[in-house]
Amino acid sequence: MSRAMFLVSVACLTLGIPAWAAGAVPAETVAPITPAVVAQQYDRIVPAICVITYSYEMTNPGSGEKSKNTNTALGLIVSSNGLVMARGHMNIENVEPFNIRVKVGRGGGEKEYSAKLLTKPDDVNVCFVQIEAKDNKQQTFPAVRFTRGKALKVGEPLLLVGMLGETLDYTPLAREARIGAILTEPRTTYVLDEPMLPMGFIGCPAIDGQGQLVGVMGYDLTPNEGGDLYVHSGYPLLFQSDLFAKYIDAPPTEKTENQPKEDSWLGIFTQPLTDDLAEYWNLDKTGGVVVATLVPGGPGEQGGLQRGDIIKAFNNVPIKTKQNRDVVGFTKLVRETPIGKPVPLKVLRNGQPTDVNVTLAGRPKSSKDAEEFEDQTFGLTVREITTDVRIRMNMPEDVKGVIVWRVKSGSWAALANIRPGVVILRFGDIPVANLAEFKVAIAKAAESQPSEVAVFARVGARTGFFRMMPRWESNVAK
Amino acid sequence: MQVQKEVRLKHPILILGLSAIVMTGCATAGLSGQGAVIRAKERVAPALVYIRPVKEVFTEGKREEVVVVGSGFIISADGYVVTNEHVAGESKLVRCVLYDKNELEADVVGVDPFTDIAVVKLKTDRKDLPHVKLGSSKTLEAGQVVLALGSPHGLARSVSQGIVSVTDRYLDDNDEMVSPFNNWIQTDAAINPGNSGGPLVNINGEVIGINTRKLGGADNVGFAIPIDIAKEVISQIIDHGRVIRSWLGISLQETTSKTNDPKQMGVIIGDVDPLGPAAEAKILPGDIMLSIDGKSTNARFVEDLPKVRKLMADLPVGKAVSIAVSRGGAPMDITLTTVEKSAYKGEEVEFKEWGFTASALTPVVVRTAQLSSNRGVLVSGAQATGIAAEARLQPGDIILKVDGKEIQDLADFRKTYQELVAAKKRLTLVDVKRGALNMYLIVKQGAEEKAKPDTATAGTPGDGHHE
Repeated sequence: MSRAMFLVSVACLTLGIPAWAAGAVPAETVAPITPAVVAQQYDRIVPAICVITYSYEMTNPGSGEKSKNTNTALGLIVSSNGLVMARGHMNIENVEPFNIRVKVGRGGGEKEYSAKLLTKPDDVNVCFVQIEAKDNKQQTFPAVRFTRGKALKVGEPLLLVGMLGETLDYTPLAREARIGAILTEPRTTYVLDEPMLPMGFIGCPAIDGQGQLVGVMGYDLTPNEGGDLYVHSGYPLLFQSDLFAKYIDAPPTEKTENQPKEDSWLGIFTQPLTDDLAEYWNLDKTGGVVVATLVPGGPGEQGGLQRGDIIKAFNNVPIKTKQNRDVVGFTKLVRETPIGKPVPLKVLRNGQPTDVNVTLAGRPKSSKDAEEFEDQTFGLTVREITTDVRIRMNMPEDVKGVIVWRVKSGSWAALANIRPGVVILRFGDIPVANLAEFKVAIAKAAESQPSEVAVFARVGARTGFFRMMPRWESNVAK
Repeated sequence: MQVQKEVRLKHPILILGLSAIVMTGCATAGLSGQGAVIRAKERVAPALVYIRPVKEVFTEGKREEVVVVGSGFIISADGYVVTNEHVAGESKLVRCVLYDKNELEADVVGVDPFTDIAVVKLKTDRKDLPHVKLGSSKTLEAGQVVLALGSPHGLARSVSQGIVSVTDRYLDDNDEMVSPFNNWIQTDAAINPGNSGGPLVNINGEVIGINTRKLGGADNVGFAIPIDIAKEVISQIIDHGRVIRSWLGISLQETTSKTNDPKQMGVIIGDVDPLGPAAEAKILPGDIMLSIDGKSTNARFVEDLPKVRKLMADLPVGKAVSIAVSRGGAPMDITLTTVEKSAYKGEEVEFKEWGFTASALTPVVVRTAQLSSNRGVLVSGAQATGIAAEARLQPGDIILKVDGKEIQDLADFRKTYQELVAAKKRLTLVDVKRGALNMYLIVKQGAEEKAKPDTATAGTPGDGHHE
C-alpha cells in the first residue's frame, strides 16, 4: 500500500510550518494514531532526526576517578540554524560531553558537523547542542516545530519516532505509546504507560493523533544524578513543548568550563506542613514549610529563624506546601531569589505570626565543585570540606581539615591504609584546617623529607593516626 | 587504624573441621600420635555439651525467638557450663545435650559480650558431672597439636584436629564483633558454625581456648579465646553475674601507628570520647599515655593493645587514677576518675502497637550519631507497614523528644509510649535526629488503614529538603 494514499488530509503539515496551522481534528477528541498519521508524520519528522556522537568524561562519585568513553544520542533539529535538542543525560552531574559530532541526513546524503554544547537548562532534563557552520557558511537545516500549550489526556496515543542502533544504521523507527498517567505536581508531567523506552527513543519526538508535535520523550534525573528539582519517576516522561520552548526561542549560551551557578541559599532543611502537623500544632491546614534543621551560620540562622518555625510566606509569596514533593516549589523560589537580597518571611512561631528578615547568601559550593589538590608525592588527592559533605558525613562545624577523595594505588598513602573519606586534621606536626594549609604541609614535607609522617585524621566519628613511611630516594622514579 | 578483613563467626556457630590428613607425629606427650589424640579427646569429650538456646532476636522491627546451635563444656561437677555469649546471650531457655545424650535445661548465669563468653548452669542436682580441666594458654606455642570439640552444623560430639597457627592474633573490632581485651589463638583445626563455645584442647586433654570465630572465605583459619582470659571472666560471671569494668573514654593505638622509633614508650591516645572521663580531665587525642598509677602502658604493636586496655578495664570503678602522659614531648600527670564501662549492647525492646523496636543508647551509638548527650533512644528496626512505618520512623533514627518532652532513656520512652498507647492518643509528635538532620515525625494512632497513604507518592520519603 502506498503511503501517498494517506497524505490527503494533512498535506499542509510540512516542516517549518507551525502545526497549529494545519487545522486538524478538534481538540476535544482523542485522535487515534492511524496508519496515515504514522506514515505522514514519519516522513515529516525523519529529516530533522540526526545522530549525535560524542565523547564524555565521567567522574566516579565514589573514587573520584575519571574515565572517558563515547556514546551516541538521538538529536532533534529544532531550529533551522542548526540548534539540536537531545536527551538530558548527555550532560549530568558527573558526565561532561566533548568532541560532539552531529550527522544530518541519511541514505548516502549524510553530512557530519561538529557541534558545541550549550548550557543545560536547569528545569527540564534536555540538552541543546549548536551545529557549527562549516567554512563560515550559514546553513539551513530541516527543523521541526512544536505545538505549544497542548493539554493531553490519559489514554491518548502518541507516535514516537526514535532510531535503531548502530548496526541498523540508526534508521528511524516509528512506534506507538500511550499516556498512562498525568502528574500535576510540581508541574504537569505526562507519564507513558510502559516502564522502559529503548535507548534510541530517549529524546525522540512525540506526535499526537492530530499530527501535532507535542514534546519529546525523556527521563527525569534521579537524586544521584543531581535531580532534586525533578519528579523522580523512573518512568519515561513526555516533556511537553511548553517546558523547553523558551530555550528554542532563545537558545542557552555556550557552556563554559565549570560555569558556576549562583543559586541563593537559606541554609535550612525543611519539611512540608502536612495537615497532620497542622492539626497537631492547632494551625490552619493551609500548608507551609517547617524549619526542621538550621545549618549553623547559614542565612536562616543569622536572620533569626528558629527550629520549628513555619514559613507561611517567602518574599511575599504565600507558601502552601503540604506534601514532600511540593517542597521543590519552595526550593526553587529560594534558589531564584537574588543573592544578597533582604527577604521578608512571614513565619508562625509557637503559633504566633512573626516577621523575620533574612538576607540570602550564595549556595555554598557542593562537593562536585569543591576545590581539590592532587599530591603526587604521597599519592593523596584531597578536597576542601563542603557543606554538603559535612551534612552527609554528620560532621560538626568545628572539625576543620581536608577530606581524602582519592588514594593512588600503590602509593605511600595507600600503604598506610589511608582511604577515601578519611578527614585529615594534621599532617605531621602541622595542623591542616583547609586546602591551603594542606598544600603547605605537603610542601614542607617534600622539603624536609622526613622518614615518616604521622597523619592525624578523623574516620567516621573517631580520630586516630596513620603513619606513612616515604622512600624519598625512589621518588624520582615514581 | 587498619582495615581489618572481617572475621566472622556467625551466630551460634563455630568450628571444627576435620583435617582429613591427620599428622599426629608430634611427640608432645611422648605417646604415639594417635594414642595421644585419643587420650586427649577422652579427657574432654565426656564434659562436652551440645547447646541449643532459644535466642531473642530483633529483626525488621519485630522481636522473634530463634533456636540456635552451639557448643560448650562443663567446668564443674555441679554443672557450670562455659560457652560463647553469641550462643547463649539473649536467651531465656537453654537446652543442653550432654555427651551421654541426655538432655537438660540450663539457666544463663551471665554473659560478657566483650570477650564473647557466657556461663550457663545445668538444672540438675548431680554433683558428679564429668568436667574438663582448664589448662593455661600462657605457654602455648605455634605448631603444637590441638583438638577442637563441639557440634559443627549441629553434629554433636565431633572432634577435629590441627595445630596452633599463631598464639597472639590481634583482631580489630568491627560493628558486630569486638574483642578489645584479648588476642586470639589461631588454629587450623577445622571449625564450623556450631562449634562456637566448644573447647580447644591440648594434647594433654586440657582446655586451652574457646572456639569462637573463623575467617570467612578462608580454609582452616579459626580463632579461639585464650583460656587465661576466659578464666577471669568465668569467675566474675559466676560471682557477680557479669564482668565489671572501668571506662576512661579513650581509644588506643600502638606507637607504630605514629612512629617506627623503638624507643617510643607508651601507647598513643588516638581518640577521646567527648562525654567520657578522659575528656573531662582534658586528655587530648595525640597524647601518649606512659603509665597508669605507675604501671607502664607500652604498646608498640597492635598485639600489645589488649593487655593495656585490660589494665584500664581492671581499674576499680569510681577510683581516681593518675595517668602519666607525654604531650608534645612534655610529661604531664593527669588525674581522672574511672566510671563503669556500660554494657556493650543497649537493651532492646519491641513496641508492638507501633511496629518497631528500639534500644538504649550506648556510648558507641552516642558517638556515631554525634549526639550532645546520652539522652534518647535508638530506633533499631521498623516493620514495613504499621504506625511507625507510616510515620516514617527509620532504623538509625534517634528519638530525642516525644510531644516536646525530652526522652531520657529507654525506660522513660517505654513509659511514655505505654501512656500514649493506653490513651489511644491520635497524633503524637516525635523529634528525631537522622544523621545530621533533625526532623518532626507525626505518629498517628487509631487511623483507619488507609488504602494508600499519600506518602507513597512522595519522591524521597522523609528526606529533608535543603534550601
